Amino acid sequence: MKFLVFISFILIIIFFGIPFLWLYLSAFDKEASAFIKMPNFTLSNFIEAFREYNFTRYLINSSLVATITMILTILIVAVSSYSISRIKWRYKNAFLYSLLLFHSIPLSTTMVPIYGIMKILHLRNSYLGLILVYTAMQLPFLIWLMKGFFDTIPEELEEAAWIDGCTYLKALFKVVLPVSLPGILVVSALSFLGAWGESMLILILVDSEKMKTVPLVFYEAMRTVGGYMEVRYELVSAFAILFQIPVVILFILSRKLLATSIVPGVER
Amino acid sequence: MKRSQFLILGFLPAILLMIFLFVLPSLWGIYSSFTNMALLGKEAANFQFLGLENYIKLFKDSAFYTSFFNTIYFVIGSALIGQFLLGLIIALLINYAERRKIPGRGIVYGIVLLAWINPTLIAGFQWSAMYDYYYGTLNTFLKFLGLPKINWLGSMPMLSVIVANIWRGTAFTMLIWLSALKTIPIELYEASKIDGANAFNRFRYITVPMLRDIITVNLIQITMATMGAFLLIWAITSGGPGLKTTTLSLFAYRTAFESYRLGYGSAIAVIMLFLNLIFGVIYIRLFRRR
Repeated sequence: MKFLVFISFILIIIFFGIPFLWLYLSAFDKEASAFIKMPNFTLSNFIEAFREYNFTRYLINSSLVATITMILTILIVAVSSYSISRIKWRYKNAFLYSLLLFHSIPLSTTMVPIYGIMKILHLRNSYLGLILVYTAMQLPFLIWLMKGFFDTIPEELEEAAWIDGCTYLKALFKVVLPVSLPGILVVSALSFLGAWGESMLILILVDSEKMKTVPLVFYEAMRTVGGYMEVRYELVSAFAILFQIPVVILFILSRKLLATSIVPGVER
Repeated sequence: MKRSQFLILGFLPAILLMIFLFVLPSLWGIYSSFTNMALLGKEAANFQFLGLENYIKLFKDSAFYTSFFNTIYFVIGSALIGQFLLGLIIALLINYAERRKIPGRGIVYGIVLLAWINPTLIAGFQWSAMYDYYYGTLNTFLKFLGLPKINWLGSMPMLSVIVANIWRGTAFTMLIWLSALKTIPIELYEASKIDGANAFNRFRYITVPMLRDIITVNLIQITMATMGAFLLIWAITSGGPGLKTTTLSLFAYRTAFESYRLGYGSAIAVIMLFLNLIFGVIYIRLFRRR
């Protein structure tokens, strides 16, 4: 039985690992191809990917959008999930379940109407549009998550701060938030990653050259895979790693926190 | 300022943003689905009301039925069979290996998770290369075994995107099962072992009944997520060849942004929204019961 489990592990590792092994080997290969092989080692793919795809420019766009989205999300999630945790309201549960509903319906469902609304509001091809969409996109889940954190913090804590003369807002930021730092870190990581990696709505929200972000340019680079032109696998692979790095780093850093909170439906 | 006023003000920004992204598009989608609005050209601004015409056309459109059934195949293959069973098996294996200290469980956990956090577009790129007819890893391997090449994306496109989506999404189910399995007291297993129950019976009579609600919630979650899968299929096949891998979300996208029929695309979106709401309501009902 032990042996059988071990064999299954090897099969699972092969299935899940081969596409990654290929990607990482190709990125360091002078002449990568679609098949997996030992690389003719080089680092120049990364330098060339920077040049070829004008990466710096899009890196700035993506970092800007992701960072502002993260800050805005932290502020909104902190205040709103605190409010929903403390408020006494008849429709509180209905509100919470509608959050769950918003979270569970994929955005691809309403992608066409989202395009329409964003066009009417002149929010396409703008930082503001991207930031608003990326912030709103993650609110339902993050509020749901953070409300859980706030529920566990006793109200006496804030009450003591009010007596010391703090305003409500000050009490929240000075007393309540520091205690819920793990939750805030999860919210920061998820909101940054969400905005950094979002690659579907960007297809309909941006078509001007100067507003493009890393995922959109990566999409254009990999589209040649379909056989229109010869794909430069070594460059696109190097690009993929540049695109993937923040995701992997942030994920490893916040892994322990994420593993316990990222899956809705199994909160204990 | 009264405290209740502060609390109401506190979640106003969140409510406004969510109305902006979730409610407004749904309403506009319903509105535009009654028109012949176009993406570009003169019918982008001067559109006409058609009443129910888009919906009548939709229910006579063979492409709609094709994409509807493609969605069902895709959900059954990649979520209900693939991700669910594979995620369950991996979780059970890791759980078993943890108790008996079998090596490799950390690597399995890590690599399954990596496929999940990996941006979907990169997954699309990786699998496009895997399936490449001339040089792809899969066909190179077949050649090495002396077998004929297979045109993965030409002759079995649906199966190909299903496998890619299983690869990408299995971690979610694995995570749910791993944390759910920990909630079952180990004494139950040990007691039944003494009573002579084998591994299958322990799974059937202890694990399944204890986790019944989590199973249903998990199934609905992955069904909804998979119904809406867009990017992975779009990156690998763009819905082709022909309509063979066009699911409803790709059908809506292609209608609006390739055929420039925004109103008709909205009608498809409204139908999808309706399907999602049904699943969503069932999901919430189950969620509340726990």
